[in-house]
Amino acid sequence: MGENTFMGVPRDKIDWSPRIDYNKCDYCMECVDFCPHNVFEVRENEEKKLIVKNPNNCVVFCRACGKTCGPDALSFPNKSETTKAIKVIRKEMKENE
Amino acid sequence: MSNEYAILPCNGLDKCAGCISREVALKMMEQTESEILCPVLYRVTDARYNKIAEEKPLLVVDGCKTRCASKIAAEKGLKVAKKITVTEEAKNRNMEIVDGLRIGENELKLTDDIVTELLKEKEKDEMLEGKSIFPETYEYEFYQKDKFIFRLPSTGFYFNENDVWVYIVGNKARVGVTDYVQKSLSDIMFFTPPAVGSEVEQFGELGCIESGKAVFEIISPVSGKVTSINDKLVSFPEWINENPYEKGWIVELELTELEEDQDLLLDYNAYLPIMKRKVDEFHV
Ligand code: SF4
Ligand code: SF4
Repeated sequence: MGENTFMGVPRDKIDWSPRIDYNKCDYCMECVDFCPHNVFEVRENEEKKLIVKNPNNCVVFCRACGKTCGPDALSFPNKSETTKAIKVIRKEMKENE
Repeated sequence: MSNEYAILPCNGLDKCAGCISREVALKMMEQTESEILCPVLYRVTDARYNKIAEEKPLLVVDGCKTRCASKIAAEKGLKVAKKITVTEEAKNRNMEIVDGLRIGENELKLTDDIVTELLKEKEKDEMLEGKSIFPETYEYEFYQKDKFIFRLPSTGFYFNENDVWVYIVGNKARVGVTDYVQKSLSDIMFFTPPAVGSEVEQFGELGCIESGKAVFEIISPVSGKVTSINDKLVSFPEWINENPYEKGWIVELELTELEEDQDLLLDYNAYLPIMKRKVDEFHV
């Protein structure tokens, strides 16, 4: 899956991925078909037929699958808070060099 | 430009937003010389509508983000002049759409609002061209993979990891997408611009572009205020495919926090390996 960093920060330190609202999701699976990054997992026999299996595969700041979701069941973290968090980690990394 | 469209609406018997699209189409037809293309009939047989779709600029009215009407337009290879999505229009106006299928007073008001705005926009369609402080052409380096060639301007440009570039002159900046975005989306059919005058933070959204297969959110490399948009792209989104650095630029911004933002900008040497990796991983 390539280098696992975003702006030099290890990807697993950045909290960015879609959140599914199960009250709205109708399991149309448009989001799964749309995203090429293997973020979602379809589980036919479970109650929640769709989960976010690999949140760290999600492209930081991408919200594209949310725009394919008819019932508006996908949401994302706040962008400016995420940016702030990235800056803080970068600063810490620099200081520890 | 005359006041008429060929209107392709969502047929709207699945959700109320669809019923509103229908209503918008009907009102537009009543108040202008527009004609409606019934999406259901069009899907089955297009003989009747091909001529209208050819003669008039196309207005696509999607009910919700499932974008059925847009998808039909893509399927039929139609050129879209203007496009709206009812749920987004409602959101912009802080309105809630009811759950059932029947239109209430609230929904009627939304319909009227949308129609009024569409008519107004149509009037002031042609805007005057101002002189630009940005160069018209640039020098490129090339990266080739199979038969695809990706251009990347080597000097004066900065990038973010979301494949968006920025070119800065003083406190002004122009923003657009890189060849990687344009090629991976293939034929771009729609450009939804951000509002002129709106403020955006670094990594905030500057509108979207869409092809038949995907939607791409334009993620701003810098913070600033939108001073102008490339409104030609609304009618000619294919310019982004032709050259996303020159005539396919997206918006211009007045920079507000360049010094702060610089920490998270990549220059050519830093972005090139990222683009190469993405190109290599991309399967057409
Ligand atoms: S697109 Fe939306 S409704 Fe469809 S499966 Fe994904 S989250 Fe659920
Ligand atoms: S936000 Fe983008 S990368 Fe993340 S799951 Fe959705 S489409 Fe995939």
